[in-house]
Amino acid sequence: MKRKTKGALGIALLLPIIIIMAVLVYYPIIKTFSYSMQKMKLTAPQDTGFVGWANYQAVLKSDSFWYSLQNTLFLLVVVVLITTVFGICVALMLNVDTKISGVLMAAAVLPWALPPVVNGIIWRFIFYPGYGFMNKLLIGIGVIDSPIEWMSRRFLLLFVVALVVAWRSIPFTAIVCLAGLRAIPHDLYEAARIDGAGRWSAFRHITGPLMVPFVGIGITSASITAINIFDEIVALAGYSDLGKNLLIESYLTTFSFLDFGKGSALTYIIMLISAVLGFFYLKNLTREVEY
Amino acid sequence: MKKKLLSVLLCTALIGTLAAGCSSKKGAEASPKEDSKTEGKEITVMVPEWAVPSDDMLDAFTEDSGINVVMNVVSWDDIRDKVAIAASGGTAAADVIEVDWSWVGEMNSAGWLEEIEMTDEDKADMPTLETFSIDGKVLAVPYANDYRIAYYNKEHFKAAGIEKAPQTWDEVYDALKKIKDAGIVEYPYTMPMNADESATTSMMWMAFSRSGQVFNDDGTLNKDAVSDALEFEKKLVDEGFTDPASKTASGMDAYRKLTAGEASFMVGPTKFVGISNNEEECSVVGQIEAILLPGKDGTSPQTMPLPEAVGITKFSENKDAAKEFVKWYTSAETQKELYQANSSIPTRNAVLSDLINDGTIQNAGAMLEEAKLIKSPFPNGIPSYYSEMSNAIYNNVNKMVLGEISAQEAFDAMDKKVTELAGNEE
Amino acid sequence: MKTKSGKVLYVIVVALFLVFTIGPFVWAFLISVTPEFEMFKNTMKMLPSKVNWENYITLFATSSRQSKILFQGMSNSLKAVGITLLIGLPVAMMSAYALARLEFRGKKLIKNAVLITMVIPVFATVIPLYRIFVSYHLLDKIFWLSLVYASSFLPMSVWLMLNYFSTIPVEIEEAARVDGCGRIRTFFEILLPVAYPVVISSALIMFLSAWNQFQIPLILASSFQTKPVSIVTSEFMVKDSIQYGITAAAGLLAIVPPAATALILRKYLVSGMTRGTGK
Repeated sequence: MKRKTKGALGIALLLPIIIIMAVLVYYPIIKTFSYSMQKMKLTAPQDTGFVGWANYQAVLKSDSFWYSLQNTLFLLVVVVLITTVFGICVALMLNVDTKISGVLMAAAVLPWALPPVVNGIIWRFIFYPGYGFMNKLLIGIGVIDSPIEWMSRRFLLLFVVALVVAWRSIPFTAIVCLAGLRAIPHDLYEAARIDGAGRWSAFRHITGPLMVPFVGIGITSASITAINIFDEIVALAGYSDLGKNLLIESYLTTFSFLDFGKGSALTYIIMLISAVLGFFYLKNLTREVEY
Repeated sequence: MKKKLLSVLLCTALIGTLAAGCSSKKGAEASPKEDSKTEGKEITVMVPEWAVPSDDMLDAFTEDSGINVVMNVVSWDDIRDKVAIAASGGTAAADVIEVDWSWVGEMNSAGWLEEIEMTDEDKADMPTLETFSIDGKVLAVPYANDYRIAYYNKEHFKAAGIEKAPQTWDEVYDALKKIKDAGIVEYPYTMPMNADESATTSMMWMAFSRSGQVFNDDGTLNKDAVSDALEFEKKLVDEGFTDPASKTASGMDAYRKLTAGEASFMVGPTKFVGISNNEEECSVVGQIEAILLPGKDGTSPQTMPLPEAVGITKFSENKDAAKEFVKWYTSAETQKELYQANSSIPTRNAVLSDLINDGTIQNAGAMLEEAKLIKSPFPNGIPSYYSEMSNAIYNNVNKMVLGEISAQEAFDAMDKKVTELAGNEE
Repeated sequence: MKTKSGKVLYVIVVALFLVFTIGPFVWAFLISVTPEFEMFKNTMKMLPSKVNWENYITLFATSSRQSKILFQGMSNSLKAVGITLLIGLPVAMMSAYALARLEFRGKKLIKNAVLITMVIPVFATVIPLYRIFVSYHLLDKIFWLSLVYASSFLPMSVWLMLNYFSTIPVEIEEAARVDGCGRIRTFFEILLPVAYPVVISSALIMFLSAWNQFQIPLILASSFQTKPVSIVTSEFMVKDSIQYGITAAAGLLAIVPPAATALILRKYLVSGMTRGTGK
């Protein structure tokens, strides 16, 4: 096929996605960028105008930003670790074809299907600082004597949040990894068996490398989820200073304190952090796979 | 291979038709009130679930006025976000919107609310109207009343040998100590202390009832009143009168300790008069009585209102119709019916006293008497920086009860922020 | 799993998986049948003293307001999911195919520009989006809401499909085209039958992501006829507290459609069929 027609076909096929993305994603974020360069406190409607990077400077100077950033990074690391490890385990389990694997599949997606508010409520009851499920369980088996106040210490609270978020983000990683497992040609395993490779060595040399791009999607998604945690923190700890991450900080600034300018600047900073991660993943995890 | 392809397509189509099938059916069934565009005007009303009048009430209104009402039921916090986003673009999220007492300052500064005319009789009968008035202008009309009132569990008090309802905070303290020492309940006092809005209001009514004020005239915190409230709260926590879980559980869950029979005394929402008489929500029905807020040397001469109102957005294109709706919605007759429909407590004292006298509201205790003591703790109306101030207050109250900082440090931290906010305003 | 130790391992993994996955749902069910006053009681008992079916009765009573809102919400969600899939899947397949199989200028740029949008937080787009919706009168319209959903799931689906397509040897398609098949026929008859697991995975992912969307519909769809079930479940509140019982009950009912779909699709996603050209 001639290169020219190929190019035309390529653009034609990509046209819908280009239009959708341009109008519904790129236009809005450019607009938001322009808000972030303005003084736009809604309670002072007369006092508006272009202020350049002032909003960004104000954000970067506040202690509260750096504190929230630490929380965001902690959540990022813990959520990605838990989600990836358990996501792969679940995918490997679902890939085994047994009588119950269909039911397991349905069970695996349940956490994901739960409306966020309900998810928050369930976990609030489980980690209730008084006699919630977790405390009853731990007292019952004799690990502790009196209820643990899960939300009263910073990293304990963040760990609980990370656990809850991982619980709902594992299904995605599992399904993506499962699709990846299904993509591996069976002949490869046959060939490996003929070559005398054991199961572990087959996993290391075939499954592992071929799964990298799919695990990469899982890690990327988990990272984005982790940076955008919102409902779980609100359900478990409200808008308290202790557990707030960047997104809560941005929500408070924008919608509670009605400072759209500064709030937009914060959102942009969150986006930049995610973008750095995103580029890193795209660079390292999209390498072409050769069979 | 073809078979596989077929099954895939079939599956995709199945989901599609499933959804489409459902949708067309349900679409046709949609409630006529919200769909049909009759001649005459139409207004949208954005309120939370608990403010929705019954269909019969709305139909009657439409019949009388020719105005069609579209209810937009949105959860409480989200209303504010939507109104803000819409207003920032110069549009109205709805013609009539929910206005919580705590939003009125910022909504006024932002210029989102249309002034509403009220007669002097209305003003006299609705003490909470004061909360929604800034510079003499009424910006929203309260439809649901809420003010802080005290509750105590008579049985617990009796078991500890106390026959009389407590009148001062000292008496409350002594009673709590007796109840705890006698082992009647482990945590006799309950109060929201989590880092959320309810901890701010708790600090405010505590200062208001103990010292008669919260703020100075320039909007800064009154040092004596607020420090005293914080010290007292800290004392109650440190002596183990409150459940440690309340420090980090949602503020509203703290109130349930009373209706679960695990706490003996609290100051809380007016709605608990009803809840404490409801078998499904309360395990100690008949034991709880609503009494006047305690004060320093006798019951407190004032209580803090936390009402909700409806206002008209500046960007509305149907202001006249919206005004008519607000007038109807907050009229005496509607308030009576609203109590029946969703137990909204009337903001008109005349209606409240009717409902109590004719037995519609049972075991009201000091409800009516307390309603007459409503007074706003804000000397210049609700400030426009309320939410930022509240954020500073509740976080520091929470840090204090968690033992991270002392009452003095908590005061200093919140005072610094409030002074800064009040100073910017000048 | 041919060895005995393999079987034991499998059983252990499955058991652990079920405890952690289903456990919270069992707990949610207990919440939904616990009387309100017992919710936070300081007791070591795991079960409520009496089972209270009130919440389910309310949700299933056709006359009750809650029931109407819940089931309308479910149907709204299904509608939105259906439209999202109808837009999202074809667009994702077309885009992934173009990016995986065709060479042309600007391809890399387009690919990166699409994929990088995954990192954009909702708050970065929601305010301008609302304004677009207001100016073109698109608020409270499920089709446009679904289009926004599609825009946020497309990058992930494209990436997933792209990776999958590139694991499939090009030679098969080329052979088919030498035999005279057009590109479109080759796509449907050669590539798709091989790539179906990823199409179903993407469909499932879109379904579930659209099902529990919260922030976007919160701003763009608030009317009774468009509000999805994820928002409906957040509105069972009275002024001073969330009604935990009915929220939990509604939440459990809300996961039935996606769970049922996953059950239906399981055969195509988890199956012993080997992917491959020969079989």
